[in-house]
Amino acid sequence: MKKILLAGALLGASMSASAVAPGGPGCGWGNMVFEGKSGLPVHLLATIVNGTSGNATFGMTSGTNGCSTDGALTYNGSSLLSMNGVLEEVAHDVAMGEGEALTALSVSMGVEAQDREHFNAVLHNNFDSIFTSEDVTAAEVQANINAVLKADEALSKYSV
Amino acid sequence: MAPWRKWLVCLFVLISGFVTQAAVATTSSESTPLVFLAKHERWLALLHWNQGTTFRSRNKSYVTQESFFLSPHGRSDALSELNATVRALKPENSPERCRFPARYRFLSEHLGWSLAGAFDHCDEYQEWRAMVPDARVVLVFPAAYLNSPSSMFGHTLLRLDASDADDKGSWLSWAVNFGAVVDDEASMLYIYRGLAGSYPGYFSTVPYHTKIQEYAHLENRDMWEYPLTLNLEERQWLIEHLWELQDVRFDYYFLDENCSFRLLELMEVARPGSGLLTHFRFTEIPVDTVRAMIHADLVAGENYRPSKAVELKAIGAEMSRSERRLAQRLSKEPDYNQASFSELSVVKQRQVLKAAYELLRFQQRNKERDATAARHSMQLLRRLSAYPKSSDTKPIPPAPPEVGHGTKMVAVTGGALEGDGYGQLEYRWAYHDWFDPPQGFLAGAQIEAFRTKLRYDKNNRLQLQDLGIVDIRSLATRDAFVKPISWYVRGGIERIAVSGRYEVTTYIEAGPGLSWQWSAFRPYAFVAVRAEHHKQHQQYIEPGVGATVGALWHGPKGLVLGASAESFYFLRDEVRHQGRLTASLPVATHHALRLSTKHQAWRKKGDTEVELSWRYYFD
Repeated sequence: MKKILLAGALLGASMSASAVAPGGPGCGWGNMVFEGKSGLPVHLLATIVNGTSGNATFGMTSGTNGCSTDGALTYNGSSLLSMNGVLEEVAHDVAMGEGEALTALSVSMGVEAQDREHFNAVLHNNFDSIFTSEDVTAAEVQANINAVLKADEALSKYSV
Repeated sequence: MAPWRKWLVCLFVLISGFVTQAAVATTSSESTPLVFLAKHERWLALLHWNQGTTFRSRNKSYVTQESFFLSPHGRSDALSELNATVRALKPENSPERCRFPARYRFLSEHLGWSLAGAFDHCDEYQEWRAMVPDARVVLVFPAAYLNSPSSMFGHTLLRLDASDADDKGSWLSWAVNFGAVVDDEASMLYIYRGLAGSYPGYFSTVPYHTKIQEYAHLENRDMWEYPLTLNLEERQWLIEHLWELQDVRFDYYFLDENCSFRLLELMEVARPGSGLLTHFRFTEIPVDTVRAMIHADLVAGENYRPSKAVELKAIGAEMSRSERRLAQRLSKEPDYNQASFSELSVVKQRQVLKAAYELLRFQQRNKERDATAARHSMQLLRRLSAYPKSSDTKPIPPAPPEVGHGTKMVAVTGGALEGDGYGQLEYRWAYHDWFDPPQGFLAGAQIEAFRTKLRYDKNNRLQLQDLGIVDIRSLATRDAFVKPISWYVRGGIERIAVSGRYEVTTYIEAGPGLSWQWSAFRPYAFVAVRAEHHKQHQQYIEPGVGATVGALWHGPKGLVLGASAESFYFLRDEVRHQGRLTASLPVATHHALRLSTKHQAWRKKGDTEVELSWRYYFD
């Protein structure tokens, strides 16, 4: 009987309950590179309703493992950067000069399509002044990006 | 009663039914009679009505939450629910309108109600609706993930894009997911509860990039993205209905009423008559959902999003051995700048730095933040940023999952055991083994469930030869950068030689292993423990330990060859050896020929079996 149960465990549970191994992974990614010791405001999750209701649903992703708080699913530059794991991806893309995370950042900051290539290049050339250390926070990164944009004639209109 | 009389009775009932309906229709003051409207495909889809697609909750709604219904009989009476909905939604400023915008749209379409300003009093809904991206709907299929039982067959979710232009990036899209709320995944009850539907299932939305991180980065699952053909109006139906599903509880059944099935229902709301729910669906395997949606002309394209592990392997494959060593060194010493690095071309330098960074992140992916790794990562990025922008080479997409063979299988086999002929029938409920046609499946991943073999031997006996309840093997190959552990677990009933006598044996067997890949050749080795029971043993359960070595070779046109040798030693001083040779060749997408030979040996003696099978795959 136990064997059948075990078999069922491996099999029946299939078909994905959108599950992630509990406890760790969904959270771990967010704890990576640049997340500061002070603890970032994390607006990771939003549900259909903007409140507590659907939060339990995310027990399987990362809602209940202590890595997230509720937040509206809105993006302006700073709230995007403060999401779990995003800062790391953006840093990577800025270092490389392009990428999906960088595109998302430029879109969320309202950078128009014709300016995006220039935006990417300017950030790429200023990597050192934007990502000053591995302990940099999302708010600092946003401020540094603003400073860089302000100094650029074509992009200054996008600085907040 | 004569059969024709039965037909007459039947006909009479039908006719009288029409007459009654017609009578009701004429008394209705609305432009479309409600009795007919209550049977409208979209109305039933909005209520999540089971019209016979699955075997539970027939002729009523799947939703188990009372507040989803406005009539006390709403769950089992679609007409009563429609009447109650008409009453509740008709008044201007009705608060129910704010809860059921799709129902309102349905009524407005059929009863001539005005849509203009209908939701002016619904601030929360309006605010949400304005935020929801609606330029494109995409079906997303994260591929199989063997290390989690809940994701073994893959998963499906939807994505809502703010733009249908690909350059906008899907990071800002919304992921729409249906999932069970599980609080005790580690417990034994998990399986039972999952099968019995005692976990609640809810729809949810999260930023899509969290899904990319979860699947492609953490779990190393390739993702397939299929833009759908839904037009603006159909997308509106879907999104408005999503709002109606907030906080709405379904019972979650792992096998059929699961993440994939609910997506089919959403498609039916968006496009009634898509035919997705007209056939009985005993189980819903995610790749079948993809196929069903392709078949229903809902899919307009596809995009491959490789996992981090695949990307890392692709980078490594472009580098020489010494460059790979250099990358490993840089991942530990990011400042390293000796001649072996500085003498490389600029392109190579960048590639090695990039590999070092990706390797470091890959190693850290499941861990708590490590200060040293964080510092090293930042140093590598800083060095990388000094190089001009350039794109990485993208891994070549493998064959997409929907072109793979069917998920179910039957086989007929002719064989001989020590020269005595036999015939054999085999049925497998799911899904894929190492030798099945590999196209569209994750290489080296075997998931078999409910594999049954009945053998008819020369003594005219029909016997159960094999009942594999599960047989799962994860052959994850190791290279310079990625070093996963392979493993397997199998359990069931099999007829095997125990000290020379064939016995029906119940067993469970599992163990870790290692595997590698040299072009088309994949050698592997496992150690294993096994517990079994059969009538020869004194103890109720006999434990044993063993080891397996073998190799797979993937040839052209889906040809797979395999050789393996295993030995087990059991507590009661029994030894058992087995050698196998297998060759499999796809004949068409859903057909394959397999030739295999097996030698079982025990002290001083052994038996040889040879068989040829025709395997037919279907959904």
